[in-house]
Amino acid sequence: MQQFLDTTLGGLVLGAVYAAFALALCLIWRSTRIVNFAQAAMAMVTTYIALSLLNADVPYWLAFLAALAAGFGLGAVIERVIIRPVEGKAELNAVILTLGLFMVLHGLTAITFGVQHRGFPAPVSTNAISVGDTSIGITPFGILTIVVVALVMAGLVVLFRFTDLGLRMRAAAFNGEVSRLLGVRVGRMLTLGWALAAAVGAVAGMLIAGGDLVNPAFMDPFVIYGFIAAVLGGLDSPLGSVIGGLILGLSLSYVTGYVGEHLAPLVALGILMVVLLVRPSGLFSAAAARRV
Amino acid sequence: MRNTARRAVQVVCVLTTASLLAACGAGKERPSEDGSAVGVTDTTIKIGAHFPLTGPAAPGYSEIPSGHEAFYEYVNDAGGVHGRDIEMVVKDDAYNPTNTSAVTNDMILQDEIFAMVSGLGTPTHRAVVQRLNDDGIPDLFVSSGSLQWGDDPGKSPMTFGWQTDYEIEGKIIGQYVKENMPDAKVGLFLQDDDFGEDGEKGTREFLDSQIVDVQKYTPGGSTDFSPQMSSFKSKGVDLVIGFNTPSYTALSQIAAQGVGFKSKWFYSNVGSDPALVGGLLASMTKGKIPAEQGVKLMDGMMTTEYLSGVDAPDDEWVKLWQKVWDNYSKKGSEKLTNYRIYGMAQAYTLVQALQANGKDLTRESIVKTIEEEGSSFEGPGLAPFRFSADSHLGISGMSVVEIKNGASEPLTPVLVTDIGDAPIEEDDSAASDAPPSSGIPE
Repeated sequence: MQQFLDTTLGGLVLGAVYAAFALALCLIWRSTRIVNFAQAAMAMVTTYIALSLLNADVPYWLAFLAALAAGFGLGAVIERVIIRPVEGKAELNAVILTLGLFMVLHGLTAITFGVQHRGFPAPVSTNAISVGDTSIGITPFGILTIVVVALVMAGLVVLFRFTDLGLRMRAAAFNGEVSRLLGVRVGRMLTLGWALAAAVGAVAGMLIAGGDLVNPAFMDPFVIYGFIAAVLGGLDSPLGSVIGGLILGLSLSYVTGYVGEHLAPLVALGILMVVLLVRPSGLFSAAAARRV
Repeated sequence: MRNTARRAVQVVCVLTTASLLAACGAGKERPSEDGSAVGVTDTTIKIGAHFPLTGPAAPGYSEIPSGHEAFYEYVNDAGGVHGRDIEMVVKDDAYNPTNTSAVTNDMILQDEIFAMVSGLGTPTHRAVVQRLNDDGIPDLFVSSGSLQWGDDPGKSPMTFGWQTDYEIEGKIIGQYVKENMPDAKVGLFLQDDDFGEDGEKGTREFLDSQIVDVQKYTPGGSTDFSPQMSSFKSKGVDLVIGFNTPSYTALSQIAAQGVGFKSKWFYSNVGSDPALVGGLLASMTKGKIPAEQGVKLMDGMMTTEYLSGVDAPDDEWVKLWQKVWDNYSKKGSEKLTNYRIYGMAQAYTLVQALQANGKDLTRESIVKTIEEEGSSFEGPGLAPFRFSADSHLGISGMSVVEIKNGASEPLTPVLVTDIGDAPIEEDDSAASDAPPSSGIPE
């Protein structure tokens, strides 16, 4: 029972991290209809920026904000300079471009910061919380992770559902030409979408790195797992991304704890296959894809 | 134009014939009477090695080649081995077996190395061991304690291990725990490859009834070990024996704290370097524990030792390594570490073998020399080598130690044994070997 509880709590925290990452993917998808495979690498870059600041004794939350700002800027620049030229062309072009970007960022980070593993501190304790004599399998940092992800998700839901800006972003992504006719500054909306997504990715990076080791490849598993979580929930839905992330985190945690760690990637891919076969648009997609 | 065409046809004919002959076995290169001496000139010997200079296995391990290079420079400056300088080619495989195959190919075909020396890693080196043996390339002193390098010389005649293998390490750990902690409930934390398997095999010879849980991890996979630690916790494990690499020692400690799992820890030699693991732990808990105290987090952990390390500055061998490192390290600012010592100690064994071989050096002769004389090499290892025609396994024992303030305190004398049901015996004889005054084996 104790193990079940610990494994479940561990899975929820892991799931929250996948969810944060899936949210960033969902955001770019919603605002530009591109799956951004460079997401992990971008988040890795911003995490390294935060680490440099932390090592220079900048307070944690200031470094956290710096990572967010760096993500925002990086996202905007990448959209303007690299993605813009292929926008409106075949979608595959942009996707391939993000794959290339993934490798470039990887290499640049390795050159700039080195390839060795480095410890990344957490703002709060990473020791289990004790209730009386028994400790339960969740840490203050784990709770912080879940809270931050919930806030980010709520923020995005509010943005897209209840604000004018969110509506314009969705419109720009859905049909650029018509939106332009209606006075939406489509180019700006796309840039903003990328910037916001990269900022959310930066949050995910900080949450993943806290109390763990970072190296230029530390986000790589999240390219796959974040993508699976996003597809699971439906690329379109922030709530779906979060639930997809939680389902994936819990599944992987149970498999690792009760069966064996070696089966975890297989289970993740199994889940992806089942979702794509049974409900290709994801569990929480609002409507079936329109076919013309 | 026509000439070119004709020449092309000729080339194609020759190539076809050659490949046909090769396919029939007729064209197979036959070593001359004296054997093959690729990579050896009158003034140089070129050796190669694959190491993880990047990636998850790089912390610590990437320092090993710098130890090799420093020691070879030291030897070369003193005139080399039988007048030949040793040149080392080091290639990065990032601990990925696919890369290991590629870089080994490069070293064989482009760099034309005489021998592979100290290629690192069980899964990585496994990918190239067949190739090296098929091509008759000496594959000396693999940086891994897997049994496969030496338990069957008939299958891999060119390959030699170096460090104490994981099976006898498992046996020695198992016996110690059985005798001193007979009531401990043991959990095994294993790297999911031969490293973990060999260690488990040795440990189970003594602890089969005490082991209550086995958890594994895949190198390069998830770094969150909370599920594994939760499992240990729920099964009441109070002693974890880990056959894992250093980063995973740090990660398992963090994960154990994360699920509130308290236990005694016994890490295999490979994963226990206090300076490295302590540094990683300190940086992960920054703000909670001052960096210089990170090493203290390792206090009370048990491990094994088959070489004296930086925590024993008065040891004659460590003095030698320090002298070599001070004078020949490429970046003088970096400190001597246990990994660099490991590299230098391997380099010492290689120089010893080359010296014993004499001036007439071929790929065949070096293998023969190590088989015939290797078991009498006196070196920095705390126990003698087991090299013979029947076994290419390396150092035959180790002592059990406890980590205190970043240094190791012996809990047992040097324990010597062999794989299978060979008994474990106390034998301090090799531990008193001292280096020659020149620092270069004669």
